[in-house]
Amino acid sequence: MGMKIINSSLFSIGCLWFFLLLSSSVAATAVPGEKAPDFLVADAQGDKHSLADYAGQWLVIEWFNKDCPYVKKHYGSGNMQFLQKKYTEQDVRWLTVISSAEGKQGYLEPTEALSVAKTHNLSASRPFLLDTSGEMGRAFGAKTTPHMFIINPEGEVVYAGAIDDNDSANPSVIANSHNYVSAALDASLKGKVVPRSSSRAYGCSVKY
Amino acid sequence: MIDRRNFLINILGFLLLAGSTHLIAQESISGDHVTVRWLAPSSFVDRASEKIGFYFEVDPGWHVYWRNPGDSGAAPRFTITPNGAEVGAIEWPFPSRLKIEHLTNLGYAGNVAYLFDLTPDRGGKVIALSAELEWLVCKIECIPGFGTMTLTRPVSDETRWSSANLDLRNHFAKRVPQSSVYSPWKPISLAAQGKDRIHLLLESETASKAPKVFPINGDLFSASKPKLQREGKTLDYTFGRQPGAALSESADFVLTDGTRAWRLDRVSFGTAMPEAKSRPLWLLVLAALAGGIILNLMPCVFPVLSIKLLGLVNEGYSERGRWREGLLYGAGVLTTFVALGVLLLVLRSWGAAIGWGFQLQSAPVVMALIALFWLMGLSFSGVFEFGHRLVNLAGVSRGGSFATGVLAVFVAAPCTGPFMGVALGTAAVLPAVEALLIFLGLGMGLAAPFVLLCASPVLLKRLPRPGPWMEKLRQFLAFPLYATVIWLLWVLGRILGESGWLIGALLLLAVTFTLWLGYNFSRIGRIIAWILMLTFLVIGYSTLTPKEKTFSKVAAGWQEYDRSLLDQALEEGRPVFIDYTAAWCITCQVNKKLVLDTPEVQRLFHKNKVLLLRADWTRQDPEITEALAALGRNSVPVYAWYPAGSREPQLLPQILQESIIVDLFNEKRKTK
Repeated sequence: MGMKIINSSLFSIGCLWFFLLLSSSVAATAVPGEKAPDFLVADAQGDKHSLADYAGQWLVIEWFNKDCPYVKKHYGSGNMQFLQKKYTEQDVRWLTVISSAEGKQGYLEPTEALSVAKTHNLSASRPFLLDTSGEMGRAFGAKTTPHMFIINPEGEVVYAGAIDDNDSANPSVIANSHNYVSAALDASLKGKVVPRSSSRAYGCSVKY
Repeated sequence: MIDRRNFLINILGFLLLAGSTHLIAQESISGDHVTVRWLAPSSFVDRASEKIGFYFEVDPGWHVYWRNPGDSGAAPRFTITPNGAEVGAIEWPFPSRLKIEHLTNLGYAGNVAYLFDLTPDRGGKVIALSAELEWLVCKIECIPGFGTMTLTRPVSDETRWSSANLDLRNHFAKRVPQSSVYSPWKPISLAAQGKDRIHLLLESETASKAPKVFPINGDLFSASKPKLQREGKTLDYTFGRQPGAALSESADFVLTDGTRAWRLDRVSFGTAMPEAKSRPLWLLVLAALAGGIILNLMPCVFPVLSIKLLGLVNEGYSERGRWREGLLYGAGVLTTFVALGVLLLVLRSWGAAIGWGFQLQSAPVVMALIALFWLMGLSFSGVFEFGHRLVNLAGVSRGGSFATGVLAVFVAAPCTGPFMGVALGTAAVLPAVEALLIFLGLGMGLAAPFVLLCASPVLLKRLPRPGPWMEKLRQFLAFPLYATVIWLLWVLGRILGESGWLIGALLLLAVTFTLWLGYNFSRIGRIIAWILMLTFLVIGYSTLTPKEKTFSKVAAGWQEYDRSLLDQALEEGRPVFIDYTAAWCITCQVNKKLVLDTPEVQRLFHKNKVLLLRADWTRQDPEITEALAALGRNSVPVYAWYPAGSREPQLLPQILQESIIVDLFNEKRKTK
């Protein structure tokens, strides 16, 4: 009987280790060169999206908050919509995510999100992904709006960081800024190595 | 349209930026939550360089940024067009780390001046500056501001400052980093470790306090506070690295001791450091092992184990039987330690802010332990003979050894001995597998004495021979158990408020009454007893709702831990003493009674105007858990001492003595 208890306790220790290894293999943030974290989030029309849905495709993920001055910089100038249009036309998928919690700045109900998409002339692949719980944002380690991520057809992150190299809130600087996202996408689509895969994401904090 | 002022300046032969002429040129600008004005003298001297600046007056609670703004935000921008003078680059006073929700910003909570050098041209009569400003001011939300400021001043034979402006200029000029030549700390090495960490090693012959270090390159370094380890004269700062960021040739830093600051320019990256821990794992496991052994002597563990052991001798087990019991006990201890460890790690990975001893932050668990200790106490006293059926955990019957092991861990957990604090704190930040090794080390330490005694007939023979004295010992050992019950009732009171005592005591009454029923009447009595017991348990547990408000009573002289109080005191340079404590931590209570709350020590604190903060971790509190983690700890007691003017806490020993506190102030006198 004693041996039985020893055996069963050894067995339970083994189970715990296994459980532990499983739980520690979940990725914490989106790191260039590593697999992107999975997500499951509904868009403003109620359709669910996960990373697996975009296997085999280039995917851009952008964090959005309509009241953030830096988002206004890139939407007011038409810069973001221009990029969305340019690359979705080249079969890149583009998801714009709102991770603002209910009651925080930038939070939108689905119907509001649809009308904001319209007024902002959003040209992403889908109307906003509504990550109200912040689960997707935290999984990616999204710090700011606009924080940008590019994921390759194999599901690996190839770029994480700012949209460009100028953290001014003034839209007039866009013309002379170096856009990291389009540089990475242009190189990627030509089968070349991304010139720069990481930068400090500038902007407003994501309002989890 | 050209306004009158610019028109006059044009007449004097000075050209201004075309872009600024359509704005109303002015010496100050206001935006939301910010006013910017010049810090400048009313006259300059020919070719004499003078430091002037932009003074940002920021509303309370709002902040503006350093050159590297950190996780979000943006540094202000200045485009200065001088006429009749030359201007130098913007000089940034050293920043502080501002924790804004999930992010760390580098900036200034309060007013700040961004400075630069101005040198009037040879033979000029007047200087004129036009500066285009762009800034971002944030609380949680951010508001950008724009504007143009002009400055026109005569050049004469005297530099005339208003004294208020000069004081402000000097205050911030002192905070601008000086050349590394003057730095008391010299860089020894800079090296990446793995993919996500960068180590900067500094050394100083003279300075004792560790400086704050701010990296200038935000693309490479994460803004969050680096982890600091001290080894003799060497300080090891571990910075986070931005995910996937490429290494540069070298990196620039700013160091500050809180009053002055220095630049460390172009510190070259050396070869990457090996992934090894700076504190070797085996040492930690060894410390955990030692801590585990000490746990055997804790007042709640010792009675249980000694009775169990004497029971084994008394029952006349065969050598093999004893060996088996020993192993079973060991398995019980290890399984429980690993289970608790895994639970802790899994909960942490889900984002729960908890630490070791968390099981005692739950009212039901404390309640169950109260009932258990009460029953064991009664059994030891011989009030009831349980026949080793109901409660054979501490008894002598076969197969109970595994359960004894489980129990030992549960009751031992709160008594984190001095060796365990460091080991458990480290375990909380280590990768899962290594953390578990430390938990296992603790478990092995706890199990070792019992298993060894069981395994070695020689040792066993050294134990006193069984006899009637054992009955007396058993009865005596009931008293530490009763003491434990009282202590746990108090803990329950701290968790639940006033009603905790009542609920706990009623539970004990119910348990005792039920037992009496069960023992003195036949089958029906027993059935009624069980029903009664269940009813009591259901009612008892349903009343276990923690009180909403935190403990209103904080001892005189102490204030409840509050991050903003701490920040404010540090800002003022006031010394701060933080007592991280919990009701279920015995060492904490002893330190409190014998040292911290004695009139002598209180008088000493009062005399030196020390802010006394008590961080009570009796119930789960994410803020305190986070603060402990920042200190590299995960258990209480922890005593953090911030000397006057210092922002880096010193950790005091876990077992306090009055002399330790007295020395804090003597040392202060010496260094002054």
